[in-house]
Amino acid sequence: MNKIKFSLFFIVLCLLFSTPALAVKIEISAPGEQTIPLAITRLLPIEEPLQGLAEEFQQVLEADLDLSGLFAQVDPAAFLDDAAKLTLLSTMVDFAQWRMLGAEAVIKGGYRLQGEKLTIELRLYDVISRRLLTGRRYIGKMNDVRKIAHAFADQVLLGLTDELGPFSSRIAYISKRTGHKELYLMDVDGYKPQRLTDHRTIVLNPDFSPTRKEITFTSYKAGNPDLYRKEIYTGRESRLSLKQGLNIGGRYSPDGREVALTLSKDKNSELYLIGTDGTIHKRLTNHYGIDVDPSWSPEGTRIAFVSDRRGNPNVFIVDVHSLEVERLTFAGKYNATPAWSPKGKRIAFARLADRKFDIFSINADGSDERQLTFGAGSKEHPRWSPDGRFLVYSLDRDGEKSIWVMRADGTGARRISAAGAADSHPAWSGRW
Amino acid sequence: MQKFNITRLLVMLFVLTLFAAGCAKKPVADDAAVTEQPTEVAVIEQQPAAVVEQQVDEAAAARRAAKAAASAAKRAANNLVRVYFDFDQYTLTASAKDQLMSNAMLLKSAPAVKIQIEGHCDERGSDEYNLALGEKRALATKNYLVSLGISANRMSVISYGEEVPLDSANTEAAWAKNRRAEFKAQR
Repeated sequence: MNKIKFSLFFIVLCLLFSTPALAVKIEISAPGEQTIPLAITRLLPIEEPLQGLAEEFQQVLEADLDLSGLFAQVDPAAFLDDAAKLTLLSTMVDFAQWRMLGAEAVIKGGYRLQGEKLTIELRLYDVISRRLLTGRRYIGKMNDVRKIAHAFADQVLLGLTDELGPFSSRIAYISKRTGHKELYLMDVDGYKPQRLTDHRTIVLNPDFSPTRKEITFTSYKAGNPDLYRKEIYTGRESRLSLKQGLNIGGRYSPDGREVALTLSKDKNSELYLIGTDGTIHKRLTNHYGIDVDPSWSPEGTRIAFVSDRRGNPNVFIVDVHSLEVERLTFAGKYNATPAWSPKGKRIAFARLADRKFDIFSINADGSDERQLTFGAGSKEHPRWSPDGRFLVYSLDRDGEKSIWVMRADGTGARRISAAGAADSHPAWSGRW
Repeated sequence: MQKFNITRLLVMLFVLTLFAAGCAKKPVADDAAVTEQPTEVAVIEQQPAAVVEQQVDEAAAARRAAKAAASAAKRAANNLVRVYFDFDQYTLTASAKDQLMSNAMLLKSAPAVKIQIEGHCDERGSDEYNLALGEKRALATKNYLVSLGISANRMSVISYGEEVPLDSANTEAAWAKNRRAEFKAQR
């Protein structure tokens, strides 16, 4: 309930100027290859200073921008006196100072608290062309600081790369912290974990609807692995597919109108398409082997899946219309959990070798396979961020299960789930 | 007259409290709060004071018998032994077949017993794949029992994949224990 209230208060007011031609622009598909020297100045009080606000904001914004791998942060210790001046107009900024420090872009901002109403003004300036790239005014409450920082981080990425960041989205996952596997939701930096189910049996493998604030998952609540759907804010929950046997691995189509899943109602696991009312629309596979783990191409015309029809588990692709099947992975002895990038080109998956999984990605045409994770522990369940820049995955190391985020090229890996708890099976939401 | 006024006052107070409770929440919650509260009060008023009512029927003996039969069934099912599988396999090994032979004997001696066969996997492998594999293990087990003369409609199957390990250690020995089919009595 409170959440809805937040969102009402939390309105992005205006883009102060239209975005001019950029002096800096980089390829989004190759994070880490070319970085922009960026100065992130501390938020300044417009009226009364508030304890801790600027620090919390700074920490969230810096973590997001650092994860993006697009920036080299200019050392704040070297900042000159312009950093301490509240300059919300480009004409007031001393760009020569920032140029001298090697910064190509600078973030400046200020805050004001009036009663309950918190206003944060933010500006992203291009140092080279001395112009405003992105100007945003956020109006919310004191506990919206993190939300505002994430929203502005998204805008910074949009301003510099023409593609919005994913930092305001959510991650659903399975946690066993109550002793049972239940469905949870958290921010992309692991903040605010929130339990959504209380089934007290086994809840598995969540997926977000691309069009509604809704999650599908499998649960043994009624004594059979049935597929459920749950509206996140109303809490309304229903069984979407309850055929005898498995109803698992539900994945919404990109238009949100169908769900691909595995059913074993005919004594063998096959992929099907069902409507959002649970009726079967189409059978996608017909083979005596195991067929599981569907993942849609962003156009909704093809589905990657796992099958042991040629012996070991491997990733295959089925055409939704012609039902023709082609094999995608040939290397390794055990390839599973494919995840098709929302940008369409690459498919991430996990390969079992030497008793542990590592995450790989491969072009949808089978070329250019690359290993993304290395080192101790088993890494599984890769899922893409809505902008295709990042992957979230689960790590099982020394008996502890945790959730991590990394860039699509495997760099910048960091743990986002809290210490101690057994967390796994993340799914990244679309734009929130 | 006086008494009537007090009653009215009480009713008004009650309504006001409801309003206050309602206003504190979001508007959407109002309907539920207002409609639920009065029914609760009514139930309390209708409750009889200190009279205990118990159902008396003649089926108690039958229920006791059914309960005894159920526990006998449970005992029989408890004697059914688990069978184990090789990694990423759902074909029955020779020793699994021997064990199923003795399970079939037990099931024949207790014809009323219905069982659920659970298929399980070790933690290696993807969870979804293991759910499908666990089901294949349970089905292979069921089909073999059918071939030994046990009626198919006495047996149902369910797969737990890698979700319910017997031994959660990260060792070959533990994994071998977890790749199994189990038998549970069903009512």
